[in-house]
Amino acid sequence: MDRDELTKHLTELFPDKIELLETGKIEPFFLLKNKDDLVAFCKAINKDEKLDIDYLCCLGGVDTGERFEVVYNVASMKKRIRFDFKLSFKYDGAEVDSVQEIWPAANWYEREMWELYGINIRNHGNLKRFLLPDDWDQGYPMLKNWDAPDFKRMPEVE
Amino acid sequence: MTEPGLNTEEFQVNMGPHHPSTHGVCRFILTMDGEEIVEAEPVIGYLHRALEKICENRTYQQCIPVLDRFEYCTSMSCNEAFALAAEKLGGLEVPERAEYLRVIMLELNRIASHLIWFGTTSLDLGAITPFLYGFREREDILDLFEMTCGQRLTYNYIRVGGVAKDIPPEFIPKCKQFLDTFDAKVDDYEKVLTENPIFIARNKDVGVMSAELAIAYGVSGPSLRASGVRYDIRKDDPYSIYDRFKFNIPVTFNGDCYDRYLIRIAEMRESAKIVRQALEQLPEGEIAGKSTMNYKPPAGEVYSRIENSRGEMGVYIQSPGKVKKPLRVKLRGGSYNQLEVMPELVKGHKIADVVAIMASLDIILPEVDR
Repeated sequence: MDRDELTKHLTELFPDKIELLETGKIEPFFLLKNKDDLVAFCKAINKDEKLDIDYLCCLGGVDTGERFEVVYNVASMKKRIRFDFKLSFKYDGAEVDSVQEIWPAANWYEREMWELYGINIRNHGNLKRFLLPDDWDQGYPMLKNWDAPDFKRMPEVE
Repeated sequence: MTEPGLNTEEFQVNMGPHHPSTHGVCRFILTMDGEEIVEAEPVIGYLHRALEKICENRTYQQCIPVLDRFEYCTSMSCNEAFALAAEKLGGLEVPERAEYLRVIMLELNRIASHLIWFGTTSLDLGAITPFLYGFREREDILDLFEMTCGQRLTYNYIRVGGVAKDIPPEFIPKCKQFLDTFDAKVDDYEKVLTENPIFIARNKDVGVMSAELAIAYGVSGPSLRASGVRYDIRKDDPYSIYDRFKFNIPVTFNGDCYDRYLIRIAEMRESAKIVRQALEQLPEGEIAGKSTMNYKPPAGEVYSRIENSRGEMGVYIQSPGKVKKPLRVKLRGGSYNQLEVMPELVKGHKIADVVAIMASLDIILPEVDR
């Protein structure tokens, strides 16, 4: 299934809810407009016979400096499809649903995102310290405005 | 039969973090019922070096040596995964000769990584000779790398837009000599382990992973193919020039530790085949395009993945556009998901089997912790 077919099929499944991003010219990249549709969307692409998305490659948060984004890289083992989609939302009350029930692999990725970005995960059930030390108290280190006494930024060289 | 008046209860055993068989620093909290494992909880983060954060703070070319440290057994693959993603962002073309050199290095690195796995697996299970065998041949490969880029572990060889240096004239004869004898060496490995009754007793029907379980947890690479799923990114989502080579994808169907062993042994032979073909077809020409020291890709984002010796190695880069540094780099390695699925595999086994299962999955901790 090439990019146009994929876009057409996904738009038919979810009219008005997703759009192909301009940045998707390299590989299919979609924006899911409302983050509350996430679980329904994931279930649909997982069950859909043409897509059969059974594999979560990766999942990660992004801090663009203005908003949070959560990027999902998914694939189908049987149909040899791969595409990405993302959510975009404000810092205030940042929260997304867990997609563990569809892809159990999401458990650790979401735990990591919760720890490093401070994005709360609904229905996760195992939000414990993960990569950072147990007594870590210096906030969420992957945020763009994060700072610490011994953290040095590389100088800008032109 | 328990004696009347004797209480039985579950208890916890702490395994690691400084356990010699964890290939890095990983800790397991095992809940035991007598000798059987009821539950296992991996505790990670001991090797967390914030590589993703460091990458956000560097230019694209400066990220490459950081990626070397991501997974030090196959640094070439890490370089390649990042370089591919960065090149996709800016639509960079890589010269033909550089593509071939990359494939040669990637496959030699895959063999070297599988040789470490072969040595340490047998060492974990009590056999010392295979360890010496594995490291003997790995040494030849490291010599080839050293004469090419001067490094034996963190190569910094595959760069955005090409490779760092051309191979020296003595590379090709030495590499051919290695390949000519390598198949016989693999036969030797198999003589030691494949039909060894102790090795079979320790591995057969231990840590069985079904195809459904593997896919659900995102397991990839040799561990996935040992569960009967024929999926190799080199064939199914081809990158670089892998579509020009003839090679097989070994698949086995039991999903136990022994099958994972067979797959990796077979993969070493296949990788050698690819290197042979690449050496034959190697064209003359440039090894890198124009300088990418000040590489500023346009705004965009891309997730690019390659087949590493431990499975899918993916790099997600978001570029804000016209800036030298990436906005976000997310690294995905095969070991992460294999460690995540481990608690499912060790249930009902004994503590000694945790060692066998972990060895057969070929988990390496720096890749998990980043």
